[in-house]
Amino acid sequence: MRPEGVLPSSFRDPAGRVFRRDGVLYRSILGPGRPHYDTLMSSGLYKELVAANLLVPHDEVSLGGDAPEDRVTIIRPEEIPFISYPYEWSFSQLQDAALATMEIQKRGLHSGMTLADASAYNIQFLRGRPVLVDTLSLRRAVKGEPWTAYRQYCQHFLAPLALMSLRDVRLGQLLRIHLDGIPLDLAAALLPLRSRGRPSLLLHVHLHARSQKRYEGRDAPMARRKIGRQALLGLVDSLESGTRKLRWRAAGTEWADYYGDTNYSPEGMADKLKAVEEFVAAVRPRTVWDLGGNVGTFSRIAAKAGAMTVTFDIDPACVERNYLATRAGREAGILPLLMDLTNPSPASGWENRERMSLLERGPADAVLALALIHHLAIGNNVPLEMAARFFARAGRHLLVEFVPKSDSQVRRLLVTREDIFNDYTQAEFERVFGAVFNLRRRIPLSGSDRVLYHMEMK
Amino acid sequence: MIPTRPWRILALGIVLGCGFLAGSAAGYIDPGTGSYVLQIAIAFLVGLAFSVKVFWKKISIFLKKTFSSKDGNGPDAS
Repeated sequence: MRPEGVLPSSFRDPAGRVFRRDGVLYRSILGPGRPHYDTLMSSGLYKELVAANLLVPHDEVSLGGDAPEDRVTIIRPEEIPFISYPYEWSFSQLQDAALATMEIQKRGLHSGMTLADASAYNIQFLRGRPVLVDTLSLRRAVKGEPWTAYRQYCQHFLAPLALMSLRDVRLGQLLRIHLDGIPLDLAAALLPLRSRGRPSLLLHVHLHARSQKRYEGRDAPMARRKIGRQALLGLVDSLESGTRKLRWRAAGTEWADYYGDTNYSPEGMADKLKAVEEFVAAVRPRTVWDLGGNVGTFSRIAAKAGAMTVTFDIDPACVERNYLATRAGREAGILPLLMDLTNPSPASGWENRERMSLLERGPADAVLALALIHHLAIGNNVPLEMAARFFARAGRHLLVEFVPKSDSQVRRLLVTREDIFNDYTQAEFERVFGAVFNLRRRIPLSGSDRVLYHMEMK
Repeated sequence: MIPTRPWRILALGIVLGCGFLAGSAAGYIDPGTGSYVLQIAIAFLVGLAFSVKVFWKKISIFLKKTFSSKDGNGPDAS
C-alpha cells in the first residue's frame, strides 16, 4: 500500500500537486497552473502528445469532497507501474528520455507552449517507452522569452550522456549525487579534449559552463533582448542533434556475455526456463522483480505471462542490451534497470523522501533470484540470514537458485580468496530460508548441483 | 582550454560579450544567469543554422518530388 496524501516529491511547482487518495494517484491543477492546463487541452497539444506516446494520458475527475484540492481541477493520470530514476537507466534509456523531452519541446513550441522544466525525473517508462509524467510542465510560451529549462536539459541529459559516451559509462552514476543534474563545470572538466570538437558539446557544455562561471552570483542587466521562435527551434534542434549523435556500445563488460560463458548444460537451462514458467503460472504475479536478471532471459517469461517485470542488473552493458531488445521488440512488460543489489538506490533528495529507495518501491508479487545468491553470500560476504531478509522485503513469492561450492562459478569466486564461508551449504541455506519462507517446491537442475526453490513468505 | 578555430573564437566572443542581454523568465525553476546569457548569445547562431537546415530540407524535397514525378510521367517511363 502506497502512502496517502501529497507525494513528498511534489512541492516545487506552485501550479499543482500530486497526491494519492484511497490508493489512486491524482494531480491537482492549482490557480497558477490553470491557464496553462487549459491551453494544453484546448490547443490540441495534449491529444497530439498522448497519441505520440510522449505524455502520460489522464482523465479529468471530480472527487466531490470538502478538501481544498476538491475545489480545483483534478486529473487522474495513468499510473506508472514502476517509478525509476535516471541513475538507474542505461545509456539508451537516458538518451531516449532526452530525445522525448526534445520532441515534446519542439511540438510544444509549434503549439505556442514550452516546457517549464526539463528534469529527467519528469520522464518515466510506460509500456517500454519514455513519457512525460508532469503534465503541468507544459506552459504557455511567452513571446520573446528564452527557454527557462535550457540549463536543466544540459545538466540532466546532455552532460551525463556526453560523459557516458565519451569518458566512461559509469559516470552516469553522478546523477545519483547531483539530483539537479551534473554541474556543467564538473562535466566540462571530466570530458575529454575531443568533446570540444563537437559543436553541440562545445556550445552547450563547455561554453555554457564558462558562461555560468562568469555570471555566477552576478545580477545581470535584465530583459533587454528577446529571443525569437526560430532561435528557440534552432536551440532545440542543436540540443537534439547533439544528443542524438552521442553513442555508447554495450560490450566488453564482465556479465554481458554471461550466458555464453556458463556451466549450464542445455538440459539444465531447459529445466530452469521450465521452472520459471511454472513458477509464474502458479503465482500469477502482477509485478515481478528479476534480481540480477542479466539481459532479461527469464524476465521475458514473466512478462509474456502478463507480469510487469523489472530486470535489475549491476552491469550497464546488460541493462543496455536488455533495453535495446525491449525497444526493438516493442516489449511493453519489461523495464531493465541498473542496480547494485549490495548498494541499492537509496532514498534521497529533500528530507530523504523526494526519491524513493528501491525497497520503498516494492514489494513485488514475485521475485526471481537466479544465480545470484553466491554473488551476495560469497562475493559480498552477506550472511544467508540477511539475504533471506532482503528477499522477503522485496516480494512475497521467491524463486531462488542455490549454487553450491562445487559449482564452477562459486569456485571461480573463491579462487583468489580464503574460504571463510563454512555456513554456505545447501542444508544451512534451507534452514535459514526456511525460517522466513515456506518451501513450496524444490527443483534440482539437470547436469549441475544447483537447486531452485519456490518459496512463499510466512 | 582556449579555442583555436576561428568560429570557436567567434562563439566565445559572443558569449563573453553578451552579459547585457539576459532577460527575466516565467516558471518556477531558476534558469541561471549564465545559462540565460549564453542562450541569448547563441540564439542568432542556432536560429540561422536551423533556418539553413529547414531551407535545405525543403529544397531537397522539392528536387526529389520534381525528379520522381518526371520519372513517373515522362515519355520513357513505360
